[in-house]
Amino acid sequence: MGMDDVWLIPAIPAAAFAILLLVGKYLPRRGDWLAIGAIAASFVIFFPVLIDLLDKVDAPDFAGGGRGWDWVSFDDFRLRLGFHVDQLAIVMLAVVSFVALMVQVYSVGYMRGDPRYGWYFTAMSLFAASMLTLVLADNLLLLYAAWEGVGFCSYLLIGFWHERRSAAEAAKKAFITTRIGDVGFLIGIILLWREAGTFDISEIFHFAEEGGYSAEYLTMAVLFLFAGAAGKSAQFPLHVWLPDAMEGPTPVSALIHAATMVVAGVYMVARMFPLFELADPVALNVVTALGLTTVIMSATMGLAASDIKRVIAYSTINSLGLMMVALGSGSVTAALLYLFAHGFFKALLFLGAGSVIHATERQEVADLGGLASKMPVTAAVFAIGTLSMAGIVPLAGFWAKDEILNVSGDHQNWGVYALMMLSVFITALYMTRLYVRTFTGRPRDHHAHEHAHDAEPVMTVPLLLLAALTLVAGFVAFDGVGEALGFPGGFGKFVFFEEPEAFHFPWDVAIISTIAALAGITVGVYAWSGEARPARRAAEALRPAYLTLANKYYMDDLYQWVINRVVLTAGAVIAWFDRNVVNDTAVDGSAGLGVFSGFQMKFLETGKLPNYALGISLGVIVIAIVFMVVRV
Amino acid sequence: MIPINHFLVLSTILFSLGMYGVLARRSAVLIIMSIELMLQAVSINFIAFAVYLSPGEFRGLIFAIFVITIAAAEVGLALAIILRIFRNKATANVDEVDIMRW
Repeated sequence: MGMDDVWLIPAIPAAAFAILLLVGKYLPRRGDWLAIGAIAASFVIFFPVLIDLLDKVDAPDFAGGGRGWDWVSFDDFRLRLGFHVDQLAIVMLAVVSFVALMVQVYSVGYMRGDPRYGWYFTAMSLFAASMLTLVLADNLLLLYAAWEGVGFCSYLLIGFWHERRSAAEAAKKAFITTRIGDVGFLIGIILLWREAGTFDISEIFHFAEEGGYSAEYLTMAVLFLFAGAAGKSAQFPLHVWLPDAMEGPTPVSALIHAATMVVAGVYMVARMFPLFELADPVALNVVTALGLTTVIMSATMGLAASDIKRVIAYSTINSLGLMMVALGSGSVTAALLYLFAHGFFKALLFLGAGSVIHATERQEVADLGGLASKMPVTAAVFAIGTLSMAGIVPLAGFWAKDEILNVSGDHQNWGVYALMMLSVFITALYMTRLYVRTFTGRPRDHHAHEHAHDAEPVMTVPLLLLAALTLVAGFVAFDGVGEALGFPGGFGKFVFFEEPEAFHFPWDVAIISTIAALAGITVGVYAWSGEARPARRAAEALRPAYLTLANKYYMDDLYQWVINRVVLTAGAVIAWFDRNVVNDTAVDGSAGLGVFSGFQMKFLETGKLPNYALGISLGVIVIAIVFMVVRV
Repeated sequence: MIPINHFLVLSTILFSLGMYGVLARRSAVLIIMSIELMLQAVSINFIAFAVYLSPGEFRGLIFAIFVITIAAAEVGLALAIILRIFRNKATANVDEVDIMRW
């Protein structure tokens, strides 16, 4: 087994989905074992694929491997259903298959007793299949199909408890907002195809390298592609859906809205990176600028969010912004290293939050507090996740974030670098706030606190495994560790664009970022421990700023205003046109004409034989005359 | 030899008589008889053309035999229908049989 069989990885969850959809409710335990078994099988197949890839990766012009079939084949139009694995895809595969497995195991405990337990695992299987297809697709059309597939699963799972109005609204918001970006993505794909005449990614690269696209054309195309990435990866100004997406079950948030689907945008930009590099520098500057805006906005909004899951959602947007800045600075390595580390520690944070919600049935930070004594395991792993997000050595988040700071320091101006350092401080601040308010101090809701306890093993074991990975995953950045594991070297020598990068560690960046993170933690502990008086005084003193943050920079209100005023007004005009012109006049009018003429003409049917005979005779005579006239 | 025009004029007269009968008569039996006239006019045409245009071949003659056969079958069927109508309505006047209308 090797890279040729990589198609099995998405195929197995897809088969599980089909079985669960058709006969899921007749299976014992509603088929949860089938969903988990399928993703476990995918995770197992990942290893022979990885070993095969490592065997061949040293070849001089290695460009990945895989297998494809003709999907559509006309005269000169061919479309392949191809699965392709290379270094980029294998990193993403590792994150997706492992986190999906952990989350599904965790879900057995979290979702127990839910009336739609079986449907949950059905949708999760479809998600896994779509996401793995997205990672492995070798042409843009298959990629786009999988891209929409994960968006659809996200819609289904955000709205999983659709009896709750807010969940249904959030699902709709997520779907529509990402669709806006997806339209751009589709336009970008069409633009690339129009000139190259192929959807195959490597052929498009080839075409671009030979100068097939003009610089302006390519810039426009990649900016449209980036619109899709911005929608999926919740970049400003399309970030508004991700905090609301927390209405879904918490394991869904961990898998889809933290570790896998939302990083699809980053992954897509990384995969199409040769095009971004060939395009005008404007393209990458746009990526950096939007990424940086996203980082600063989400970090500050995280300070004022009141819901435990929303705070983590803002930290996810923050992380996605960091990855975009890394890509904008030209480093696929840094972005993918962060993606790799982020998948583990963010899933850990979400599943930890899920344990808290499961135990207390509260998710407002104001109702929690003092849970560390009741839930020691959850508190410990949550602390690891928090410190990793804040960027404290030696956790995974530290190495990844430092790599991004490095490249932004090397390739961007001082303003960008300074803002990145500021974001490190704010990140540490709000993550500390979340931890301090949730796990320390005095309990604010005694009833919830009384009943809180660590979850059962099926939920804590995934937490512990993710925590272990959070502790060690960052070390893959070191060349020595990579070589010991059989890789050509550290992460930079495995995943790179154009040139392998040896691991290097500038102390100044590490020291400044560590100081910023520690300062954030210190201020956070000071401001929010106990009764949180300093924080409250600060909120009072800076009331306008606090309100701006608590209202998410009024972006939701702005969008709502635009929808109410512009979209709905235009919609009313179009609806009037549709009702009165299209429907009443054109459709009903022509049907009414038919009814009227039919009613009038039916009186020709007299039922009397001589009338018919006369008609036939006259008809024959007319035809005879016509023939004679035409003939002569 | 008699010129073909005589036959054609004869068949035209027969056909017109038949057509007049179909349009003018009200008795179903007379209408059928008129139809027979029209059919035989057609047969005469067939035979005349067959003899004058392609002597020694049978195509036109065979058509005439077909016409006679079908005319016989048609009369059988039509008389059966007329009998049923007469049984039910005590008349064979086609003006009074108009239940298949709007």
